[in-house]
Amino acid sequence: MTSDKSNYKNTEIKRGRGLKKTLFMAALLLFLAMVIIVATILGAVQIGWRNILSILADTLPFYSSPRAVEIAPVYQDILLKIRLPRVLLAAAVGSSLAVSGAVFQGLFRNPMADPYVIGISSGAALGAVFAMLGGFSLTVGGFGAVPLFAFFGGIATITIVYAMARVGRAVPVMTLLLAGIAVSAFLSALVSLLTYFAGEQLHQVVFWMMGGLGGATWHQVKVMIPYALAGYICVSIFSRELNAMLMGEETASHLGVDTEKVKKILLVGASLLVAAAVSTSGIIGFIGLVVPHFVRLVAGPDHRFLIPASALLGGALLIATDTLARVIIAPTELPVGIITALIGAPMFIYLLKRRKKLRYFGGGG
Amino acid sequence: MGLNIDVDGLKLAYDTVPVLDGTEFRVERGDLVALLGANGAGKSTLLRCISRILQPAAGSILLDGRELRHFNSREAARLMAVVPQETAADFDFTVEDIVMMGRFPYLKRFRKEEGKDYDTVRRAMEMTGVAHLAERSLAALSGGEKQRVIMARAVAQQPEVLLLDEPTANLDIGYQSMLLELAARLNREQEVTVIAAIHDINLAVHHFNRFILLSGGRVMAAGRAEEVITSENIQKSYGVKASIYRHPLHGVLQVSVVSKKENTCFDQKKPEVHVIGGGEEALPVLELLSQKGYRLTVGPVSAQDSSCRFAHFHSLPVIIVPPFTSMKDEHRQEHLSLMHRAAAIVVPPIPFGEGNLPILEQVAAVLAEDKKIYIIDLQGVAERDYSGGKALKLLQEMVDRRAVVMETIESLPEIIGSGGGGTSE
Repeated sequence: MTSDKSNYKNTEIKRGRGLKKTLFMAALLLFLAMVIIVATILGAVQIGWRNILSILADTLPFYSSPRAVEIAPVYQDILLKIRLPRVLLAAAVGSSLAVSGAVFQGLFRNPMADPYVIGISSGAALGAVFAMLGGFSLTVGGFGAVPLFAFFGGIATITIVYAMARVGRAVPVMTLLLAGIAVSAFLSALVSLLTYFAGEQLHQVVFWMMGGLGGATWHQVKVMIPYALAGYICVSIFSRELNAMLMGEETASHLGVDTEKVKKILLVGASLLVAAAVSTSGIIGFIGLVVPHFVRLVAGPDHRFLIPASALLGGALLIATDTLARVIIAPTELPVGIITALIGAPMFIYLLKRRKKLRYFGGGG
Repeated sequence: MGLNIDVDGLKLAYDTVPVLDGTEFRVERGDLVALLGANGAGKSTLLRCISRILQPAAGSILLDGRELRHFNSREAARLMAVVPQETAADFDFTVEDIVMMGRFPYLKRFRKEEGKDYDTVRRAMEMTGVAHLAERSLAALSGGEKQRVIMARAVAQQPEVLLLDEPTANLDIGYQSMLLELAARLNREQEVTVIAAIHDINLAVHHFNRFILLSGGRVMAAGRAEEVITSENIQKSYGVKASIYRHPLHGVLQVSVVSKKENTCFDQKKPEVHVIGGGEEALPVLELLSQKGYRLTVGPVSAQDSSCRFAHFHSLPVIIVPPFTSMKDEHRQEHLSLMHRAAAIVVPPIPFGEGNLPILEQVAAVLAEDKKIYIIDLQGVAERDYSGGKALKLLQEMVDRRAVVMETIESLPEIIGSGGGGTSE
């Protein structure tokens, strides 16, 4: 039978594809580890990797490293209280943005979709600007008014957009996208209006909107990570459904996907990711757009791979760009949003050029 | 395998325009049904109700007696697969990925595809002839290949019911019948109940054995081709005049829509032309002259003759004689009077034999009365003369007596119109 032969060939190819994916995933893990190490070493203050190692070793319980010279406590503080939480926060924010970007692009079957596509960013921005100008001093669970207002601004916006787009039981993605754009435009106008009257706070407002991870604390990391994990688990459970949704909602439904339910869950998951990211770091662009594109280019559109790979690459990329933002004009630092845009936009154009012969979600071949 | 489908009193409106208006029918287990109807008749809407995309406002759809909406998505997808008209391919899944999606309703959430899923997928791809494309990207395939991949996905779903929504609309004729043959094969070999919305009735009759004709959201007719595809039904549902005839090779019913031009009345100012009938070869002549508005008479022909159908369809005077018999006197008289009435007589390139030789003799006789007679393709007569040269001789005599000979029929209307002809000057 010829089918034996073709089966054999087929499994060979499949193994080849599997190997490629495994290698890619390993490379991403390695990249993330390297980036974390480099980001911890680099900074305005030179600590030296020996000192870093012994400081880290000291944090282990029941262990005290032998050393000739006492390390200045300020080094310990810089490393443990400033750099490490910042690196981890960058990883969490970057992963969240990249994963939500992948989800929105799949959900809307639109390669131009990014985490902010349905208005979360403008909602969060309005919340943040409102909090800044209002000068509220409330604190909930260790959080200031700005991240709180940003978070709820984002969540409120997505709820409004969802309600607007709903037709009976169903929420057509096209309507969702359009409602998102309309609401986003309206909220952006409000943000501009508030910014116009910002006066002394103008600098703060503009700075927030450029996005940055300055002043990251362990507390932020602790709050961000559950959101990031919850959102991530939520969307990765439904990655097979998301693959089917890529064929169109009707087709997905013919294949046995409960599209309305899946849409709702994915929307909630991705929105949580974005709202958490935006409220901790402001609006950081291009991570959510470029990362999933790049992964698709290498490994194809299967979300069961795309989502974890995007998480790894997004985290690594944001740590890298954030490090650049810290050291490029040290001791002053740039808002990381500027760096991601400066690097992300040309990269996106490059990907676009490379994929010319392929289609939107091109990759693999 | 296969399911009964009962559709009862289905109603659905877009805004206030009713699209389905009490649609009712029953499809039996293992039926192979073509859903026919004009644009807007509700074909797609009906299929979208059955495939659970649309929720009808009233009425019920039962699968083997169980209300459709009581199935959950995965249950429904294990019973029913859909092949849409077109599949967007703005992503880069391989063909095998796409076909594997057909296994979705069988896969548990945290389980990976197993060997038996791969086997099912491979068999489905082999059946639809796309196995060699397994590693290719769907986006890189032609429309015909793409539809076969989607068909393979439907097969991998191992459904009891296959719904096709104008699956051939964007395919060339080769792929059209290949795809419908695949559906028919699934029906034959695995007793899958198939319902396909099809625009092309002539294509449908080749592949399907039951037909449902929708019109205005209701079932106008259902059953075998002979019960559904009638010129009255076509006229009522599509609003066009159509002639129904049997395919000369396969014997299935065929529909031919009459163009507007043909529908126009015969021009009373134009002269009447008599065309000698008998056989397919007379049709182009009749067709051409009628398009130009000439009033026509036809005969003598047998009732089963295609010229006779033409004459009936256009309500033309025609002389009908029983087949395989010699003409009776009354028919001769009738024929003579028709020829007398006519300003011109056309002898199309029909075969001649002992049976219709008397007709030619009559024609020769009226030539003497100064009638214009046009003989088409005299050179070819030798090949279709089964009268031992008698017909050829007769025709040649007519030519000698100023009958007009024409190679082809294109200029026939003009020449008749001018009352002339090469040799008659």
